Amino acid sequence: MPLHIKRLIGVFAIFIALFLVMRQVLRPSSFGELGHFRAKAINENALRPMHYTVADSCTKCHKDIRSDKDLGFHIKLKCEVCHGPGLKHALYANRFKNKELPDSLLLYKPGERKDCAICHNMNRARIKIQFDTINTTMVHQVNVMKHHVTDPKTKEALKCIDCHNPHQP
Amino acid sequence: MTEHLQNLYEVLSKVEGYVYPNEIELNWSILIVLYPYITGLVAGAFILASLERIFKVRILKPTYGIALLTAFSFMLVATMPLVSHLGKPLRAYEIMITPHSSSAMAIFGFVYLWYLMVVLFLEIWFDYRRDMVIWANGTTGFKRFLYKLLSLWTTDISPKAVALDDRIGYIVTVIGVPSAFLLHGYVGFIFGSIKANPWWSTVLMPVIFLFSAMVSGIALVMLIYIVLSKIRKQIVDMDCLDTIAKYLFYILIIDFTLEGLDQIHRIYVAEESFEALHKLVFGKLFYSLFIYQGLMGTIVPLLTLGTLQFYKPKAKIRRAIYLILPVLVLMGIFFMRWNVVIGGQLFSKSFYGYTTFKTGLIGTEGYLMAATWLIVPFLILSFLLWLLPPWKKIETSHE
Ligand code: HEC
Ligand code: HEC
Ligand code: HEC
Repeated sequence: MPLHIKRLIGVFAIFIALFLVMRQVLRPSSFGELGHFRAKAINENALRPMHYTVADSCTKCHKDIRSDKDLGFHIKLKCEVCHGPGLKHALYANRFKNKELPDSLLLYKPGERKDCAICHNMNRARIKIQFDTINTTMVHQVNVMKHHVTDPKTKEALKCIDCHNPHQP
Repeated sequence: MTEHLQNLYEVLSKVEGYVYPNEIELNWSILIVLYPYITGLVAGAFILASLERIFKVRILKPTYGIALLTAFSFMLVATMPLVSHLGKPLRAYEIMITPHSSSAMAIFGFVYLWYLMVVLFLEIWFDYRRDMVIWANGTTGFKRFLYKLLSLWTTDISPKAVALDDRIGYIVTVIGVPSAFLLHGYVGFIFGSIKANPWWSTVLMPVIFLFSAMVSGIALVMLIYIVLSKIRKQIVDMDCLDTIAKYLFYILIIDFTLEGLDQIHRIYVAEESFEALHKLVFGKLFYSLFIYQGLMGTIVPLLTLGTLQFYKPKAKIRRAIYLILPVLVLMGIFFMRWNVVIGGQLFSKSFYGYTTFKTGLIGTEGYLMAATWLIVPFLILSFLLWLLPPWKKIETSHE
């Protein structure tokens, strides 16, 4: 075999050997312990900060609202769908005198027209679904541009929540 | 917390209708468009080179070396869009050391290395070894060191050794053709096997990717050859260009037919996804699909090349056509990748909604980053052409 072929094979052999060494050295330490992945990745993900709480945790302090809501159309909506992530709020809200919460713990109160429009504005894609027995619009659709009520006296535009109680629409 | 909500509104302004939360942002951005594009150029350029080498289309000789070096330069960069798209680029090597046979993605590293090292590197090495030995004697300094290093400090250029090189090179090319098919068919396979996405999931995908790869690779080599001749102030070999154009024409026909077949099949079968895709195609993808890919990237080149098969205008006009057409074709194939990768993520799997693709100029996934990965291969190619100029090689007949 000519010299250059021998050397070429040598070079490839070195590469393959390096690769095998790399495989041993660089393999992440917890790889394969639980399956074909880094077992530590589970902990890393568990350590990420949480923002949302469980659905029922608001009831503890806001029982009235919960029971209001359970009587109305919004029964299936979770509180955090409208008010945003509330874990911190639910954990710490009762630690303040006079119930005066610092800004960082206050939740958003979605009272503007655009807030209700997220789900209720007309949208071509949100069509009626008609299966054998079910016949329903997914979410009641309102043309926000037309459904535009103003105060008869002051002529000021009203917000949705001036007429609809968001918790019991 | 208001900030959270603010973000939500911003995000929701991008979507129409019902979109699942994980579909709002496109996870596969412009960089993932580039990856099949660049691998396609590699496979295409290599197949053009192999036409000369194993299918003995001698007239393509002037482009053989250019095609090989082009394939090699683009191959070196092929993974970079993927790596820079990773959230943790420094972990990119892990795909190589923890392979798993059930994951097509995890096999990629090996398909890639096989093609880069065993096919492209070896073919170029055996092709240039004798010349490197000779050139090493005629140069000094760094260049001489490079030649010495690359030829592994061997000097055997006896006819017997050279004949052996040629034989091995030939065998490597023969292995290389199916490998090129594997490389690019594999890229199409990744998309085609995603059964949850009706825009991607078709068995034709690997084949379509393969033929569009050949189209783009051939167009690229054609363009580089013409531009290079201009720079070197050499006259271009018109017979060679005509032949390349002829192959481009044939393969473009096959590519067009396959893609047409795919679409006709979709229309005829009209699965439940059809309406959503129909809206997509005539809405957000209209320009990139019908105008850029279809009209400018396929129909115009097809008609022009078709006409050239029957009617040959003067060499000057043909040269101009051969300069413009590859650009159109390259653009068309780029938008083909775009339509596949981006288009496949614009509609919701609920088939009731659409999202929008926006990317900035800067940032790790911006247009500048993408442009960088398209320019770097040309820099590598310039270096390789300086180091291993195909036109200075001693004529071998590749028998
Ligand atoms: C530990 C008791 C507690 C829990 C649990 C709790 N809250 Fe509160 N919440 C309070 C207190 C105290 C206030 C401030 C006084 C008030 O307005 O009643 C408050 C106020 C609010 C406000 C009004 C803020 C403002 O700007 O006026 C909203 C909205 C709210 N809570 C939503 C929620 C939601 C949603 C949850 C469940 C994720 C929740 N709360 C869970 C105690 C609690
Ligand atoms: C449809 C969206 C929606 C849902 C679901 C919802 N809220 Fe509200 N909530 C509102 C709006 C809008 C306001 C602001 C009312 C206002 O400004 O008068 C509000 C106000 C509040 C307030 C402040 C009370 C007040 O009178 O100012 C509390 C406390 C509250 N919500 C708790 C809850 C809890 C607990 C739940 C779950 C059981 C819940 N909300 C579910 C929309 C919602
Ligand atoms: C997260 C989505 C969501 C938001 C935000 C939301 N709603 Fe609703 N709403 C629903 C759903 C779901 C229903 C129940 C299905 C239905 O009947 O349309 C509903 C029902 C209603 C209904 C009864 C419709 C009917 O069928 O007669 C009214 C009225 C209503 N909402 C008012 C509001 C108002 C006012 C707001 C703004 C404070 C609001 N909604 C915000 C999801 C939402």
